[in-house]
Amino acid sequence: MATVAEAPAPAPVPVSRDGVASVTAPPSPRRRRSRQWRHPVGLEIFTWVYLAWSILPICLAVLFSFNHGKSQSAFQGFSFQWYISTSSKTPSVLHDAQLHAAVLQTLWLAFLVTIITVPLGVGFAIGIDRWRSRTSSNLNFLMIFSFVIPELLLGVALLFLFQQSFKFVALGTPAEVAALVVWNISWPAIIIRARLSTIGRSYEEAAADLGASRARAIWRVLRPLLMPAIFASAVLVFATCIDDFVLVDLLSSTANSQTMAVLIYSQAHGGNNGPALNAIATLMLAFSVIVAAIGYVAFRLMTKGERQSTTEALTNFAGL
Amino acid sequence: MPGGTITLKQLTKRFGDQTAVDGISLEVEGGEFFSLLGPSGCGKTTTLRMVAGFEEPTSGEIILDGSDVGHLPPNKRKVNTVFQSYALFPFLDVADNVAFGLRYQGCSKAEAKTRVGEALELVQLTSYEKRRPGQLSGGQQQRVALARALVLRPSVLLLDEPLGALDAKLRRSLQVELKALQEQVGITFLYVTHDQEEALTMSDRLAVMSNGRIAQLGTPRVVYEEPADAYVADFLGVSNLMDATVTRSGSPSQPCEVTIGDFKVAAGCGTVTASGPVKIAIRPERVSLFGFEETGANRVPGMVERNVFLGNATQVVVRLAAGVSLQALVQNDGGAYVFEAGSPVQVHLPADALRVLAPGDSSVAEIREETFGDVSPALA
Repeated sequence: MATVAEAPAPAPVPVSRDGVASVTAPPSPRRRRSRQWRHPVGLEIFTWVYLAWSILPICLAVLFSFNHGKSQSAFQGFSFQWYISTSSKTPSVLHDAQLHAAVLQTLWLAFLVTIITVPLGVGFAIGIDRWRSRTSSNLNFLMIFSFVIPELLLGVALLFLFQQSFKFVALGTPAEVAALVVWNISWPAIIIRARLSTIGRSYEEAAADLGASRARAIWRVLRPLLMPAIFASAVLVFATCIDDFVLVDLLSSTANSQTMAVLIYSQAHGGNNGPALNAIATLMLAFSVIVAAIGYVAFRLMTKGERQSTTEALTNFAGL
Repeated sequence: MPGGTITLKQLTKRFGDQTAVDGISLEVEGGEFFSLLGPSGCGKTTTLRMVAGFEEPTSGEIILDGSDVGHLPPNKRKVNTVFQSYALFPFLDVADNVAFGLRYQGCSKAEAKTRVGEALELVQLTSYEKRRPGQLSGGQQQRVALARALVLRPSVLLLDEPLGALDAKLRRSLQVELKALQEQVGITFLYVTHDQEEALTMSDRLAVMSNGRIAQLGTPRVVYEEPADAYVADFLGVSNLMDATVTRSGSPSQPCEVTIGDFKVAAGCGTVTASGPVKIAIRPERVSLFGFEETGANRVPGMVERNVFLGNATQVVVRLAAGVSLQALVQNDGGAYVFEAGSPVQVHLPADALRVLAPGDSSVAEIREETFGDVSPALA
């Protein structure tokens, strides 16, 4: 994920062939070696440019949500009016019923998808990882494959399916939940599998050795060990659902059940609500950041026994 | 203590076309400390895992107290395991770790508490009940793992290199403790190790394994003093192996005469009835050195090549006139050390220590390299 932003690894002390640190080596090869390990200026510049490129637009969007005027290009003074104003000329976030419905719909959808996807994904991962067979490796391929299918393709396919064959799945929330579960199930499956391979089989074997049946070993030993990963994947699924657009829009029924993402899209391209849009986006951003932050802190607390650096914890948390 | 007998009959395990364990048969008596000793990849851990129930035998039987358990899952066997990695549950404290298996024995809460207390007392960790495994040292974790298995009162305890992850000094003190503990609880211990010192000091009997088979089975003294072949001789501590030719075969009561280079010596143990080219072996501690003038029976002239000071003894590498090098161990008795490198000496090879070996298997050469790569393996 953030490989570009990672700090360069510290240069290892060059050791000459006879095992003596190269401090005692003749000067010319030493200079050549030290140049090889010098500070990677080019990489560093690239990293900063990358960070600026990805973060600055977000900062600007957030800034303009506090614009006093209606412009989204010229800053006309600081104001909270797009968040809380009651004026009819400037519809604010606080008094927009349509927006409130969208927020609730977004959270409801994300909640439903999370509580369905995560248990399914955990079971999927345990099945693939612990029962080695040809079927399980095929399923593993299928899971990875669903990662690379374009979302649009999946959405269109499901739309046809729900309209033509599985008519009992109504468009709107039921269809959206079904689609998002299918789309997101790879997340928990991949994260849990990564965790399973770090855990290894020895704990389950120990539990079985002490008298626990297979199911009990999974429940009493594997479940607590997997808890951080389960939590991390729940956070990721939730966060992904909050801003999903393609599936939700394709499988939506009426405007009543539109999510924040769909609302922002329709407002940006339909009527221009000015910085109110930025205000919604800012709230959405804040929400995502809070969810991720809570998730990360909880992950650190849950894995307290394992000594890991912040970078390691972040990487594990993201399941990468 | 009654029970705790294990009988393996033609036990075999194949992984694909690899044979890890190749038809092992052995009997372990109840209350015995039995070790499986061998280099990595010899099949000892696979054997243990089959007894524990983590691997299903390809063929053969595992008979525990009279019934074949070979195809039962691990939770249905009255054996418990101490893992090399301990596998303590990191999210439970010490007391809960030890109590883990008691639930499946239908233990009441009060009884569980008493038994956990007893088990922790047994391994001297009474005040550590509330600690998490991550807060314990390696040696303490090892004791918790031991308590967790012993609290279930198994008829057999399986130990998979339980001291492997500890440093040398701690390992030595735990060896003594483990043996004392085993005698105290009277449970059969099946112990897997690659450390010959561990196996020799703790076991009642041991089986030396090689390529999925048992090379020799016996008491530590027998296996050490009377190795069946060159492989066993070499694996159990440093042994000097030399090529020689039997020039006059002996009989059970008569030593044979062998020629090392140009020198004839008498060899009194092993396959003394052999003839022709053989391997002969002698332990470094049985080789003694004398001044060059002090000739006598079974003495071969040589020259000191190298001295390695070990503290309690000096390891001397001597090159015999015949061209072979061998190691001698000169005890440090406080006197002046006289065998400087380059000095000529008489090497005494006592007939009763010089062993004629039956031709061993092909793995001897590779084991020799392993042993001699390390100049000072455990000699004590």
